[in-house]
Amino acid sequence: MLELLPKLNDQNLPWIDTIHPIVVHLVIATALISVVFDVIGVMARRPNLYEVSFWNLLMATLAIFVAIIFGQVEAGLASPYGASRDILNFHSTIGWSLAGVLAVLTSWRYVARQKDPNILPKGFLILDGLLAALVVTQVYLGDKLVWIYGLHTVKVVEAIRKGVVS
Amino acid sequence: MIELPQLQMEYLRLLLNKQMIFLTLSSPLDEISFSLGPNNLPYNLPIHPNLVHFTIGLFAIAITFDIAGALYPLEKRILRFLALPVTRLSFHDVGWYNILASCAITFLTVATGIYEMLLAAPIQGVKSSLGLGAMPTMIMHGVGGAILLLLIVIMTVWRGFQRFAWRRDLGRQVSWSYLLSGVLILVILAVHGTLGAELAAEFGVHITADQLLAAGADLNEVLP
Repeated sequence: MLELLPKLNDQNLPWIDTIHPIVVHLVIATALISVVFDVIGVMARRPNLYEVSFWNLLMATLAIFVAIIFGQVEAGLASPYGASRDILNFHSTIGWSLAGVLAVLTSWRYVARQKDPNILPKGFLILDGLLAALVVTQVYLGDKLVWIYGLHTVKVVEAIRKGVVS
Repeated sequence: MIELPQLQMEYLRLLLNKQMIFLTLSSPLDEISFSLGPNNLPYNLPIHPNLVHFTIGLFAIAITFDIAGALYPLEKRILRFLALPVTRLSFHDVGWYNILASCAITFLTVATGIYEMLLAAPIQGVKSSLGLGAMPTMIMHGVGGAILLLLIVIMTVWRGFQRFAWRRDLGRQVSWSYLLSGVLILVILAVHGTLGAELAAEFGVHITADQLLAAGADLNEVLP
């Protein structure tokens, strides 16, 4: 059965480059800009920006599930070493939690928007702050996996395959 | 008559020594090398790759929503079926505000990119999966970045004129040529991003583990 799986390249991937970091462009950009537009909408009293933030939030919710699918596959192939094991565990846990948080926030916004699209539900800005904090933490952990520990980079994969890093 | 050959000899000797002269020249990098970490940056995590999320993500969503706004008459029934009431204007609002945000942040993306490229130390002797060496990859990614900034600025200005002047009274706020240009730029962005990803994953630029490995360090010891 195993030989039916595609061959892994020098980055230990069945495809040319890591896909998870590409998909997260969309999640990070839409989730954070949604918070920014909510804040500007409240401060500048521009309710039409709530529409912009709602659609960005919806896109973040759709994209994060794609990001998790690729994230899980690529994490499974990452062979983390040293402290990057713990970081990868935290990154996975927060990733799944973020999917839940985004889905709940989007549903709440959907229901509130059906009633009146020009009103931001009370207290939503606080949740926006929580969302932004979670996303920033998640980006920080993901950054560490790539830019400190070099998971899925040619040099590190080579070292792991030789058995010099574990 | 004897002076000319002598001069030529001197010139020849200089040419032969050129490699030596080049090697002994010091780089401005030497002056700050003491303040750089193992990733060749004065901080742990590079900034440019984090700003790139916004440039690419916001631009892609902007074009996507303007396409959704342009095709609105076709989608009306689907949106009604999904119980998702939306006006055409909201789709175009997303298209406008997202590209505006993308444009603003891309100045920082390019600025940090230039700074971090100046400090880049790609691993020697590597060929990327596109068959390019480090220098061509960096030059293409650097020049490409400046060109893309220009393109994104032009697109944003174009989008603004359509929204506030040329197509102000029209339901479809963008022209088809704008949408086509947007899709083309997304394709360029994909290739451009691949070059940037290769600088990291294959050339190990600003990646602590890769740089340490290239220097012959034992990761189990220095990066536990």
